[in-house]
Amino acid sequence: MVDLNQRHRLVAAMAALFIGLLALLATDASAQQRRKGPQPVPKEATSTREPDIKREQQPGAKESVEADVSARNIAVTSSFNGTEIVIFGAIDGSQQPSPESGYYDVIIVVEGVPGRVVVRRKNNVAGLWLNTASVAFDNVPSYYAVASTRPIDEVAPEEFRALHGIGLQHIKFTPAVGQSHPLSNEDLQDYRDAIIRLKRNSFLYKDSQYGVTFTGKSIFRASIVLPANVTVGPFDTRVYLFREEKLLSKFQVRLTLEREGLERHLHAFAFRLPTLYGFMTVAIAVAAGLIASTVFRKSAH
Amino acid sequence: MRRSLVDVGCMHFYLPVAEMSANILVFLAMGGAVGFLSGMFGVGGGFLMTPLLIFAGIPAAVAVGTETAQILAASVSGALAQWRRRNVDVKMGVVLLAGGLFGSVFGVQLVATLRRQGVFDFFVAACYVTFLGVIGMLMLIESTNTMRKARAGSIISGRRSGQHNWVHGLPLKMRFTRSKLYISAIPPLLLGVFVGLLAAIMGVGGGFIMVPAMIYLLRMPTSIVVGTSLFQIVFLTAATTVLHAAQNQNVDVVLAVLLMAGGVVGAQFGAAAGQRLKGEQLRFLLAAFILAVCARFAWQLIAKPADLYSLGAAGGA
Repeated sequence: MVDLNQRHRLVAAMAALFIGLLALLATDASAQQRRKGPQPVPKEATSTREPDIKREQQPGAKESVEADVSARNIAVTSSFNGTEIVIFGAIDGSQQPSPESGYYDVIIVVEGVPGRVVVRRKNNVAGLWLNTASVAFDNVPSYYAVASTRPIDEVAPEEFRALHGIGLQHIKFTPAVGQSHPLSNEDLQDYRDAIIRLKRNSFLYKDSQYGVTFTGKSIFRASIVLPANVTVGPFDTRVYLFREEKLLSKFQVRLTLEREGLERHLHAFAFRLPTLYGFMTVAIAVAAGLIASTVFRKSAH
Repeated sequence: MRRSLVDVGCMHFYLPVAEMSANILVFLAMGGAVGFLSGMFGVGGGFLMTPLLIFAGIPAAVAVGTETAQILAASVSGALAQWRRRNVDVKMGVVLLAGGLFGSVFGVQLVATLRRQGVFDFFVAACYVTFLGVIGMLMLIESTNTMRKARAGSIISGRRSGQHNWVHGLPLKMRFTRSKLYISAIPPLLLGVFVGLLAAIMGVGGGFIMVPAMIYLLRMPTSIVVGTSLFQIVFLTAATTVLHAAQNQNVDVVLAVLLMAGGVVGAQFGAAAGQRLKGEQLRFLLAAFILAVCARFAWQLIAKPADLYSLGAAGGA
């Protein structure tokens, strides 16, 4: 009798687990189907609307710069724990006598997807610290790295850096329209600084003043670390070639971070079909509880 | 974002909803440790696990939503066992659950609003300080008194039953045959609402409120209190998990599975360890744990933060 009961329990637990797995598989399959349908469209769209590679040559400059990244497509899988990309480039028509001569200067900017970020400020209310004020900013890049052969203020003039968004202080993000409270300029600057400081602390914004090195007369490279908490999406990589504070050539290449595997499906599932995802979680939890009670009851006998 | 203990080590796994890379072993161990404590003390463990997750750097809202799923897994087997022993007052459970669902729906909405305002973290910390502070102190006083009395050799008196209190004066009376009670449906309904609200906001099962309230307020027979409470928790946490996932998208199934796996194993060892300690000693230890967690949250509220500013996405923090 006891034996029969146990078998019933086991069967019930297995059935529950099976249903949970089926639900997971079904949603995986549907996610794949969804992906199969619209997926080629954005890829084509990006290649027609905004090409992966863009070059701009200054009139009169003999030298031109070309660059590429070590991986144009990076997969964020379940085991993603950050990655390092290498950006390498070459100067066509280089007149540099040796790699160490410092004849040219290079600035590389890697910028992630722009988005809205809310900065909150804590204040002391009756002895307790809580968020009381907030400012929303638009076009805040999820990731921003600038690397150069020398400190950027020696490489390019201030106006140029401001215009092209080079350097942490010149990242082009703006307070969102329709702020609830009017803000003074100093306050706004505090909030801007806070974004940069906090993003730096979580390794999402960085500047490395000597991050670009020439390895030959015309070849240079820089390595840039994308931390584990980086947001997926397209990354714009801009390479500027300078000679005595004058821009000679600019080159742009795009790299993409994409979610892959189970992790991609679960994320999409949780945000696109949240209710169904909730039911799946409940099914898994119930199955786990039943299996545990079956297993441990058996081992106790 | 601070650099937290989840960054250490090598067994990394990307949590799809929390959107952070986490060490599997850390969360398995965390599930195991809390499972051990809950097995030892016979409590759900939500009020220990949710704070731990927050301290480990999981966003407060994700900690609350995910822990709800874990409590469900931890309660299923217990509820089933109680059901088989017929220790569940289904009618009472359904009344409690009706209130609970109402509270949960409201609580989940409240979480969404507070996240938009950027004060959810503060609110959770304040709730935990209040509840853990009060419960921890009460347990500490009660357990030390019992230990002192036991040492002095006096007889420990049980609960006085059969007395009427204000609960019996209310209208809308219902007969709860299994509990041998004929009382108004209003107190269990209100109790359910309150527990549902707590479950949604604090990521707890609510047993630590439900059990004493059933014994002292509703005066249900002790034998069916735990079963009815578990019965109620299973359905309440299931509903709250779905509501959280649908409204706040703050349930991380990978994290939940890690915690379940750790918790299940830990609970088995905890239950064995708990049998070697006396009831009042267990309650004293648990009170100490509760007060420690409470102090940690209180510190978070009063200490000046290292950085006054923090970042959040547009949807919530």
